[in-house]
Amino acid sequence: MAKDRLAGVLERYEAVIGLEIHTELTSLNSKMFCGCPVAFGGEPNTRVCPVCLGMPGALPVPNEAAVEATVLAGLALDCEIAPFSQFHRKQYFYPDMPKDYQISQYDLPFCGLGHLDIEVDGEGAKQRVDLDGGPYATRIGVTRIHLEEDTGKMVHVGGSEGRIAGADHSLVDFNRAGTPLMELVSEPDIRTPEEARRFAQKLRLIMLNLGVSDCSMEEGSMRVDGNVSIRLRGETELGTKTEIKNMNSFKALHDALAFEIVRQADVLDEGGRIVQETRHWDVTAKRTSALRSKEEAHDYRYFPEPDMVPFEFSAGWIDAIRARLPELPDARRERFMRDFGLSSADARTLSEDVEFAAFFEEAVALAGTPLAKPIANWMLGDFSAYLNAGTVALSDAKVTPAMLAELVQVIDAGTISGKQAKQVFTEMAETGDAPGAIIEIRGMKQVSDTGAIEAAVERVIIANPDEVASYRAGKTTLIGWFVGQVMREMRGQGNPSLVNEILVKKLG
Amino acid sequence: MSISEADVRHVAMLARLALSDEQITRLQGELNSILGNIEKMQELDLEGVEPTSHSIPLRNATRPDVVRPGLSRDLALLNAPQAENGAFVIPRIVGAEEGA
Amino acid sequence: MSQKTDLAGLSARAIREGIAGKRFSAGDVVEATYAHIDVHEPGIHAFNELTPDLARAAAAHIDAKVAAGEELPPLAGVPAALKDNMNLVGTHTTCSSRILSDFKSPYDCTAVRRLLDAGALPIGKCNMDEFAFGSSTENSAFGVTHNPWDLSRVPGGSSGGSAAAVAARMVTVSLGSDTGGSIRQPGALTGTVAMKPTYGRVSRYGIVAFASSLDQIGPFSRSVEDAALVLNAISGHDDTDATSVREPVPDFTATLGDGVKGLRVGLVRDMLDLEGCAAEVREATEMSVRTLESLGAQVGEIDLPMSQHGLAAYYIIGPAEASSNLARFDGIRYGHRVSDPSDVVDLYMRSRAEGFGPETIRRIMLGTYALSAGYYDAYYGTAQKTRTLITREFDAAFEQFDVLVTPTSPTVAFKIGEKAEDPLSMYLSDVFTIPLNLAGLPGVSIPCAKSESTGLPIGVQIIGKHFDEATMLRVAAALEGALDLDMRPPAA
Ligand SMILES: [Mg+2]
Ligand SMILES: [Zn+2]
Repeated sequence: MAKDRLAGVLERYEAVIGLEIHTELTSLNSKMFCGCPVAFGGEPNTRVCPVCLGMPGALPVPNEAAVEATVLAGLALDCEIAPFSQFHRKQYFYPDMPKDYQISQYDLPFCGLGHLDIEVDGEGAKQRVDLDGGPYATRIGVTRIHLEEDTGKMVHVGGSEGRIAGADHSLVDFNRAGTPLMELVSEPDIRTPEEARRFAQKLRLIMLNLGVSDCSMEEGSMRVDGNVSIRLRGETELGTKTEIKNMNSFKALHDALAFEIVRQADVLDEGGRIVQETRHWDVTAKRTSALRSKEEAHDYRYFPEPDMVPFEFSAGWIDAIRARLPELPDARRERFMRDFGLSSADARTLSEDVEFAAFFEEAVALAGTPLAKPIANWMLGDFSAYLNAGTVALSDAKVTPAMLAELVQVIDAGTISGKQAKQVFTEMAETGDAPGAIIEIRGMKQVSDTGAIEAAVERVIIANPDEVASYRAGKTTLIGWFVGQVMREMRGQGNPSLVNEILVKKLG
Repeated sequence: MSISEADVRHVAMLARLALSDEQITRLQGELNSILGNIEKMQELDLEGVEPTSHSIPLRNATRPDVVRPGLSRDLALLNAPQAENGAFVIPRIVGAEEGA
Repeated sequence: MSQKTDLAGLSARAIREGIAGKRFSAGDVVEATYAHIDVHEPGIHAFNELTPDLARAAAAHIDAKVAAGEELPPLAGVPAALKDNMNLVGTHTTCSSRILSDFKSPYDCTAVRRLLDAGALPIGKCNMDEFAFGSSTENSAFGVTHNPWDLSRVPGGSSGGSAAAVAARMVTVSLGSDTGGSIRQPGALTGTVAMKPTYGRVSRYGIVAFASSLDQIGPFSRSVEDAALVLNAISGHDDTDATSVREPVPDFTATLGDGVKGLRVGLVRDMLDLEGCAAEVREATEMSVRTLESLGAQVGEIDLPMSQHGLAAYYIIGPAEASSNLARFDGIRYGHRVSDPSDVVDLYMRSRAEGFGPETIRRIMLGTYALSAGYYDAYYGTAQKTRTLITREFDAAFEQFDVLVTPTSPTVAFKIGEKAEDPLSMYLSDVFTIPLNLAGLPGVSIPCAKSESTGLPIGVQIIGKHFDEATMLRVAAALEGALDLDMRPPAA
């Protein structure tokens, strides 16, 4: 419903959206301020220590790798890396927060202004009614990236569906408490739900490429909150914003923002005013609803964390982190287009996933650059279909870059036909046998020996004088029938293009 | 600057302290008297003076990303006023959810 | 006097040598210690908890080493007491607060672990002002501690129990914590040697925090040498405390006998003239400096006018950090919890209001206010900038002098109840000690005189440069040797 009405609303109103994206640094060994392991799930309170339980007297010591990961992320997004930065305490009482303050960063975050360029195409591009509806690229500012600690988790007992409302009591598990959490705040540069989705998806890809997080929206290791306001087109003043939480997938992010834009427009159209509040996305009801607001306003009483000393990053240190930056999807895509002549769309798909891209490059290295295109086609076609159909992870697949390279080479050499190749691929994916072995066992070798093909063509011509006459009389469509006869004669092993070529010559 | 009774009540709420009217009144007087004695400091010329949050010039104190043994669950829950299924038990929560 | 009570008066070195020479065992020391405690503790109440099982186990360990002919660690068999804000598995850590009255330590404080690893015997946990908020040990949920020199008087605070236990010879050494003078001031009031190391010298891991940027653990002892031995044991970098430094740790006993010839000693003149500083305290301080001069020190005078703002800065920074550090006492993971909470906020509010005593509530309120929206700059920001000026003033003073000398406390021990109703006059007790915490400097208080009118001890504070405890202790040792005071109180 919101989706249908969104287009109409966006004709009259412009949406102003900013995102806050929390990413757990799941690839680290230990938590943000203590030596407890970083992991998901497990029996409650089995990955805890005095520090992450907020025991009296315990002290936090920042994880070096988490600081480096945050600076690395900042460099990936062209952020300014602060020469002087510090942790602050953000104070509020909540049962999942052991110390009743969160160690976070305030006015001195590790990373300042940066940006992320996104591309929008397809249906989603139409949401930008101020543009022509075609594909476009736009730059979204990144306000800051800072580092903080995650909270514990609560299970609400009694009441419905484990929600807070109506629960009789709750159980607190601090296994997650203290997990390193990177928070990115975007500028309010986002104008449509589709742009928000693309921004979050692209950020996720970058984080995966950096290898700092598994970025699982389902397990909550990547969490996106949005701030939305709307204003009449032409207006420069910002409207009152609401904050949307609990958007647990990219679809939810898109749909929740779309709903909220339409909701705000309805309120304004009826002469009402928007209340600044936090709203919760209910994925089943497909609507946002206001959380009961507290009687008191927030007063986090931020002050510099006295258990820690400040950070001063030297240019040399920052350069050393910069040297660790892997090639990011955008750069890789451009290289694939430039070096391998791939289309923009193919290059994008191949370059997004680190492992997939590495597989591709390894196969190309073995088969030679001229075969990059067929390798790309195999990877985007049969191979992707195979992986998706069986939900097989690339790392678990039996196909290796060497096998794919070999397959493409034998096709190129004309040893087997395209049709046979599909058969070989299927068998290779299932057994893990190399193409050469499969071709050998199955007797699939394609005959490209012109002498053998000529002999077979001769035999077919002699055996079918009527058809030859018809053909020569102008019924050239019979060529297909002749090809079939020759292939039958050769038990399917004739090189199709040679067969065709020789037939045309002999018949003509 | 003088602290009103409403200020004291607000601060008590921020600090999560259920104070009686009598405590509020007494604290209002005491806080005003203590802060009154601090006024002299506020007359200092602090233009351009950097704040000191630590007295030692230490920087970039971190630890390597290494796992260390923590507490057994029994020790973690040793002092828990109420525990259930290995978790800390709390009464119901009224009001907004907070997040990181 | 029995031989057992004699043991209780020995120095750390004498105890170790006695055990090594098999004149007595570590087990004998433990029994003598508890026998002495049985006699004096009822009148003094230095302890919240005695830990004979831990002490006997530690003694057995030492005695086994003796039997095996192994080298003994430096504090072997030395009876030690711990302020009750330091975690040690097998003990309660209450901070003398109702909110932690049942709290069992789930882990060890680093400084305590190091002290015990050096062979000290854990005798018990000492009374204190609740969460270290106070200067008299009257703010304890478990009753006041009495000064062994006059049981009607306070021992100072907040580490009053640790001070009284050493003064009364119930233990040889103890650990206290010092945020604004909580080691040095009770040291002065009980006639003991009491020292705050440089901030960052001793790990704070495991000590329940009062004000993280000011807190430091340090020793009480009856001699400068024993203080140096304890400092040797507890100092050094700890990777579980991000504010502990990697400075090299010298053997602090090595230079104690080097004398003061040629050292530049600065008497802080304007502190002596401060209103509220008793004449006898001023005279004792001047006498101490003259004594150092006669021993060959080059003596001069200096004013530290910025330090007079230390008290104001401290009463913002301390409570601000404390209000945050004490948020965790919320009745969820540990600590006092009301029995019938209607919801989580009600649980927080009533558990905390019931669990914390009046001074703790006062400081939490003050600190919360100072950090709250609209007041941060006027209070916390101003205090942090004042701190910068105080630090700079000390830096300049140390260009001229190797050590500085001030009184430790403006008065001798006061009567129990005398200042209890007036927080401001109590806060003034720490006017000479607070500036060091703000600047992170080391300071030691040693007894320098006894009041002519009351016979009560008077302390003098010697202030060192950052991480130069060695010079500071060297001056203290020279003065101690020259004065040669008998500091055995009536109740010992
Ligand atoms: Mg955050
Ligand atoms: Zn932990």
